Amino acid sequence: MSHPVAVPAPPLPDPPPAPAGPRRRRDDRRVAWLFLLPVLIGFAVFYLYPTIRGAWYSLTDYSLLRAPAFVGGKNYTDLVHDTQFWNSMKVTAYYVVLNIGSQTLLALGLAALMHRLTRSVVLRATLLLPWLVPNVTVGLLWMWLLDANLGFVNHLLTAVGLSNQGFLTSPSWAMPSIALINTWAYAGYTALLLYAGMLQIPQHLYESASLDGAGELRMFRRITLPLLRPVLALVLVVSLIGSFQIFDTVAVTTKGGPIGATRVIYFYIYQQAFTYFHMGYAASAAMVLVVVLGLLTAVQMRLLRASRSDLN
Amino acid sequence: MLPPRTVVAALAAAALTLPLAACSGSSDDAGAAGGKVTINYWLWDDTQQPAYQGCADAFTKANPDISVKFTQTAWAQYWQNLTTQLAAGSAPDVWTDHASYYPQFVSSNQILDIQPFVDRDRVDLTQYQAGLADLFVKDGKRYGLPKDWDTMALVYNKQLVQDTGGLADLTWNPADGGTFEKAIAAATVDTHGHHGLDPAFDKAHVKVYGFLPEWADGAQGQNGWGDLAVSDGFTFLDKNPWGTHYNYDDPKLSATIAWFKHLIDAGYAPAFDKQSTLSRDAVMESGKGAFTITGSWTIGTYFGDNTKQKYALAPLPTGPAGRKTAINGLSDAIYAGTKHPDQAWAWVKFLGSSACQDIVAQHAVVFPAIRRSTDKALAAHKAAGRDVQVFTDEAAAPGGTFFLPITDHGNEVSQIVQDSIQSVVLGQSSPAPALKKANDQVNGLLK
Amino acid sequence: MRLNLGRIGAWAALIVFLVLTILPFYWMVRTAITPAGDLYTDSTNVLPAHPTMINFWRVLGLVDADTARNAGGSGARIDFLRYTMNSGIYALSIAAVQTFCCAMAGYAFARLRFPGRDLVFGILIAALMVPPIFTLLPNFTLVKNLGLIDTFAGMVAPNLLMTPFAVFFLRQFFLSVPREVEEAAIIDGAGRWGVFWRVIMPMSRGPLLTIALTTAVWAWKDFLWPLLVGRGEQTRVLTVALGVFLQQSPNTQPDWTGLMAASVLSVLPVGALLVLGGKRLVQSLNFTGIK
Repeated sequence: MSHPVAVPAPPLPDPPPAPAGPRRRRDDRRVAWLFLLPVLIGFAVFYLYPTIRGAWYSLTDYSLLRAPAFVGGKNYTDLVHDTQFWNSMKVTAYYVVLNIGSQTLLALGLAALMHRLTRSVVLRATLLLPWLVPNVTVGLLWMWLLDANLGFVNHLLTAVGLSNQGFLTSPSWAMPSIALINTWAYAGYTALLLYAGMLQIPQHLYESASLDGAGELRMFRRITLPLLRPVLALVLVVSLIGSFQIFDTVAVTTKGGPIGATRVIYFYIYQQAFTYFHMGYAASAAMVLVVVLGLLTAVQMRLLRASRSDLN
Repeated sequence: MLPPRTVVAALAAAALTLPLAACSGSSDDAGAAGGKVTINYWLWDDTQQPAYQGCADAFTKANPDISVKFTQTAWAQYWQNLTTQLAAGSAPDVWTDHASYYPQFVSSNQILDIQPFVDRDRVDLTQYQAGLADLFVKDGKRYGLPKDWDTMALVYNKQLVQDTGGLADLTWNPADGGTFEKAIAAATVDTHGHHGLDPAFDKAHVKVYGFLPEWADGAQGQNGWGDLAVSDGFTFLDKNPWGTHYNYDDPKLSATIAWFKHLIDAGYAPAFDKQSTLSRDAVMESGKGAFTITGSWTIGTYFGDNTKQKYALAPLPTGPAGRKTAINGLSDAIYAGTKHPDQAWAWVKFLGSSACQDIVAQHAVVFPAIRRSTDKALAAHKAAGRDVQVFTDEAAAPGGTFFLPITDHGNEVSQIVQDSIQSVVLGQSSPAPALKKANDQVNGLLK
Repeated sequence: MRLNLGRIGAWAALIVFLVLTILPFYWMVRTAITPAGDLYTDSTNVLPAHPTMINFWRVLGLVDADTARNAGGSGARIDFLRYTMNSGIYALSIAAVQTFCCAMAGYAFARLRFPGRDLVFGILIAALMVPPIFTLLPNFTLVKNLGLIDTFAGMVAPNLLMTPFAVFFLRQFFLSVPREVEEAAIIDGAGRWGVFWRVIMPMSRGPLLTIALTTAVWAWKDFLWPLLVGRGEQTRVLTVALGVFLQQSPNTQPDWTGLMAASVLSVLPVGALLVLGGKRLVQSLNFTGIK
């Protein structure tokens, strides 16, 4: 067996209340806070405090080099009129759609193939390799492969009679190229997550369907897809949130260019804060991102819960 | 059962020992062991590094207690890196500075005012090329000593440009491109051997482009559009330095950009979105470009010993308002937060002295800011068999030069204007409205 | 027969996936062993005409500046061996400490009773929704004000003790551990710490390893934070070093052969991890799939 310890799906949303009655009531408060101490320190200093500070920065004019000065909601009103900011949100959304779409479809196909063909660990380990490589390396590698003059991909294109492309230098190609680069890096990993979910599906369902003469495609549609839905939804939520945070690949390959075609929101915030010294403004842009991601997560959680309920 | 105290101890051990054990102690910025000081020095041009390393060696020989550590970062990333380091409070002690980019560091108090040092050590400011020293002065404070200067010229591939007769006095205007455009067209060749003026010319299959434009050229257009626009009567600013209003909405500028776009449309210049990661000089080296506009700092690149192609220089074309070249000087800035201001000043003073600039002159990579050193550089070029007189002639021509715009927010202005111009040459927007919009944005920054 | 054709097609598709995964790495290695001067003329053959190791030697800082410059570099001093070690320290210290601390907290949230438990847990989990860039800006000023720029302490600080996800993940696991296991130990007189340390931890090796591995891989790949606070030579990690190396290329064009040699070096450790512990790693992902 290649999955010796199957974790049962944890009870959601809360642990079942301890049965009242025979069990004695305990109070572990002293020892509990000791158990929690390191995590609470880490949380207070590096999550809670910066969250409050970040919210405060967003109301100030703060250059990083001088003390913050309160300006009220000015950063936010400026943001509303900042076409570069909205362009960043737009290209980020574009990236997320391209990346999540292609990545999920590929991973699903890959997982299904593995599920029905082989349990090979070597194969799965190989597919995991791109995920283990830093995004910076991935970006460099593909920047080289996609180079307009010397890149391997353009050698292939010219070999079959097509003209070479400036994949990362053309405003219309740059973002799709980056989305596909990251799909290459994450499809194998996502496939393994989905594959793990598929292994939870009882084998006998496939056996009886097969006896009924169902083909593979039919089994995929009728058995795999519906039973995988909770896992699929969860994987989608996680990769979607991650996808919004794209930075490394852009920072290495296009640096937001050409003409802002890949200036994703992380890169925009980074530039405002550390290149132009508009820390307060950057914080307000980050604040907007918090709200957008929060809304998105809420919507997805709702969908997720819906998909869970029709399985139980 | 373990007593709670042990738990705490275990926690403390886990939380504290690891990062502390991993911590290497002090970072390398101090380097002050035994009275010796290391000055961190940044520059962007890898071809100049050997020349300035020569200066550093001479400097350390004269000042055994001070050594200089070089870090080179390519131009495309230089300013972003510098700002990040400034934000982190760990900027280099001394960095190579550029007139268009230093004002933002002045307004955020990141550059040391060296006027007191200059007064104390009686540095002779008249030894430099006229105007260079003043580029780095604001409100009576001085933020650098000139180290070099550069002008622009046409460089062409001698095998690919046959008719060199009229190259010394080309004309240009944004309407029909003058004789400059004719020379470019004649040097453009398609895969069937038809040149650009031939009616049979196939602009979809170009083998050699007549002209290679530079589009990552910030808000200055030093390598092309800026020089040509000024030669048509364009001015960047209401006053320079320290203007408060940019003129990027000037129709003369949009006409210039439109002319560049026309070069692409006609097949005389490569399309912006098919560029490679190679810079123009690398494309010139591969024999795919005939002309380009380049600065005197690239002499070593085009006239070095290892070039595959053979090149020659020609002056920039003369526009309706005359022949105009950007003249720019670099300086060395001292970080306001440096731990070693005296040693940093000693290094900057040495960089701005003839002792260093003569060394740079011998390497013949750039023209040093000191006039006598410039003459030495010219002599060194002549001795190496290179004719680079064009650059010094242009610099000497009365009214033939202009300084690059100097205002606050240089970093942001560059990004906005460059984006705008790129969107025009891509055909995404038309010149006049795009530049108007960019101009409104940059003037908004200066308010 | 139809079924067999289908299976052949499926295998073919799987093999295409594999080739697409491997091919870029092959080209990375192939470029790394090509002399820089040959890139224009000899960039299409399967193997380089004049294979060389010079690109590796120069990114490891084993040749002098002039030799490096002649081989296509900028002559800047680089030492990828040290950067790799820095990456290792960064990844392993965060993974070890964070997993341990979060296991304690996860256990407390899952099993201990104390007032305010659900409230505190809820607040922790809410932090999952805050994108890291939001806390990154103030954390940067905090680390800067503490004087921890360019130190390992400053680099590991924000993630050393916890991430909300690790707490959440381990709590969910501990909830699924049967209570009877603990009850027996408690009856034998073990305290809470004894139960946690001697009973719970040993039986949770799988999920602990999962969270430690995932954290280590994450830290190994981390770029933005180390770029901001650990750019100095002493603390520079691999990812930052690669970025800096790209920037220190000659102005005329990136030093591709050197960059690919450095990239190979950044892949080797994880490649070795896959060869040695691929099975363990792949299995550990089965947990996160269900998280």
